Amino acid sequence: MFETSKLTEWLLSHGISQMVLELLIAMCIVATIVSIARYLVGSKTYGIFAPILLAIAYSYTGLKYGLAITLVVILTSLLSYSVLKKIRMHYITRIATNYTILSITLILFFVLIDQFGLGLENMSNIPPLAFISIATLSDFFIKQFVKKSLPSSLMSLFGTVVVAIVGWFVISREIISDYALNNLWIVPLLTAINILLGLFKGLRFKDYLRFRFTSREDGNK
Amino acid sequence: MGINKVISINKEVLGLNRRNQEYVRPYNSSSSKAIADNKILTKRILRKELIQTPEVYKLIRTKKQLEFLDWNSLPKSFVIKPNKGTGGNGIIVFYGKEKGKLSWIRPNGTTMSQRDIILHIENILEGRFSMGSKNDIAIIEERIKTDSLLKQYSYKGVPDIRVICFNQVPIMAMLRLPTKLSNGTANLHSGAICTGIDIETGITTYSMHMNGAVFQSDTYELIDSTLDLTQNLQLSGIQIPYWNEMLEIALKCQRASGLGYIGVDIAIDAEKGPVVFEINARPGLGIQVANQAGLRWRLEKVKDIEIKGLKHGIRVAKNLFGGEIEENIEAISGRKVVNIIEKIYIFDKNTNITKISNFKDIKKEQVKAFMDTGVLTSRIDSKLANRIGFINTHKEFTKLNIPKRFETFKEAQDYIDRNEVEACKIDGIKRLAKIVEEGVIKVRPVFDIPIKISDKIRMTEFVSTENVDSIYPITIGRSDLSGYLIDTSNTF
Repeated sequence: MFETSKLTEWLLSHGISQMVLELLIAMCIVATIVSIARYLVGSKTYGIFAPILLAIAYSYTGLKYGLAITLVVILTSLLSYSVLKKIRMHYITRIATNYTILSITLILFFVLIDQFGLGLENMSNIPPLAFISIATLSDFFIKQFVKKSLPSSLMSLFGTVVVAIVGWFVISREIISDYALNNLWIVPLLTAINILLGLFKGLRFKDYLRFRFTSREDGNK
Repeated sequence: MGINKVISINKEVLGLNRRNQEYVRPYNSSSSKAIADNKILTKRILRKELIQTPEVYKLIRTKKQLEFLDWNSLPKSFVIKPNKGTGGNGIIVFYGKEKGKLSWIRPNGTTMSQRDIILHIENILEGRFSMGSKNDIAIIEERIKTDSLLKQYSYKGVPDIRVICFNQVPIMAMLRLPTKLSNGTANLHSGAICTGIDIETGITTYSMHMNGAVFQSDTYELIDSTLDLTQNLQLSGIQIPYWNEMLEIALKCQRASGLGYIGVDIAIDAEKGPVVFEINARPGLGIQVANQAGLRWRLEKVKDIEIKGLKHGIRVAKNLFGGEIEENIEAISGRKVVNIIEKIYIFDKNTNITKISNFKDIKKEQVKAFMDTGVLTSRIDSKLANRIGFINTHKEFTKLNIPKRFETFKEAQDYIDRNEVEACKIDGIKRLAKIVEEGVIKVRPVFDIPIKISDKIRMTEFVSTENVDSIYPITIGRSDLSGYLIDTSNTF
């Protein structure tokens, strides 16, 4: 679509595969989206790693399959952790048990789709690594659930998934990925945007909602 | 939300971005933050300043120590908390011990066996509740027995008072009241009530409660009374005990920890009085909602002030940020509070108050006025009246040769009835009035003079007096005090 730039051509001919280059650019784009979501909007996510991982995984699974797997992972984690909470056991073993239950559920999920379709017939074509990447969301979800609370973890989950969907939307547009691949100046531009965001002192969108009550004009005293 | 509202919020409110960039990073060094993030270290540092903190019964650093813990040496009620925990996570309170059993009773009535407690402590040691999930220390400490006044407003747990200080000045304060929803904790995100406190008087003002719905978290609703007690009580107007002492404690915590921007959590123990729970290097911003006022403006106001000591810091805070309760009274009663001796502005004789668009450019004088409900019409010292343009009026008035004294009010009134029309021909005289001055009944001229009192510019009738003994050049009388409440505790 776009003419291949000389820099891109040079990189591709010097040991970097196109897929790696595309992934690295996607990582920069999603990382910037996470920054914007955090410092301009004020959305909570499970750090920066989870939304990047999820957005890239969705770009491999497709949004429909990605969200279906996410739903299974979260519901299973929530259910298994709630049951395991009642058993007196050490923290790490509880998380490990949660993973084993999650694996069993995912296998059953595959079988179920094979039998009944459920509109997800192409599930078996999904790359396993993308599948595992979504499954690691369980760790982030449970950790926050344990450390803080279920509402807090659900809030971060919601933020993470929304940011990942936005990220997926941006990086899966062929026009964007093609343009970025052949205009690598975008990477330093994203770096500059992140530095500027890092220096931003203004209110986040969420702050306006949160402090809408704070309206008395005591600044005029 | 209109554009004006957005601009006003932006100007007044401190957001997370600015808090971190402008206050936490530049004013809180890593070593100071390390003190705040470590409860054991905090206790040690505060003890040096003779600040009370909950007494530590045991410190458990390893599983071996846990194994050899003498459970019988623990009192019936105690608290277990992680040394480096955040947001109240991992804290368990025990109210008592089950008779004849090794199990303890929690605030919600459930019990925890020794085995359960051991497991909880093991989780603390493994770092489950700590920053960065690093190995931690479990603290077993004294349970605060809440002061009876605040106890009636909270559901089981311990209410606490958070004071935010910056540059050795207390900036804002709030009371956090545990509710049934918050399960007895004073954590706002769990559903505790936050109530603003007037920094000057220590009296509670507005109360807020975080929205229960998950996706509305971080948004609040205004409430008037407690939520889930058998008898819900009005939340505004509570006088926080030990108020001045608490402000001093907060400032001492700031000095001891070296944190430039600090949040100090203080509880009131029924026997010990104020006890510092913890200090916070990154205090949350919900305090602005509780007070319905922004932190940004307040922080900027004190940024460059040189504070000479604790008392000076408190005085600055009270003068700059006090008066919330007065505005609250105004909101409830529709009346404004004025001090018994209030600073007012008096404008020149011919000032047209309808055309005062830029207050700064108008010729005016700031004077101390005495609020006196014992006189009807306000009074002005003739020397002050001369300064603002009534010198010729006085000269003309003297030419009228009015008797210096009258024997009775009737005699004075008869004189006024006969001569008022003539006197009113003099520029500036509105009418004549009979007054008692230094025990003598006199007839004096009355002027219309614009003044600014309590943010309001108004035309006011003044009787010109010649009382040389009066300390205040202006006395505001009853006829100009309707709509005001007089605070006799404050003078300037």
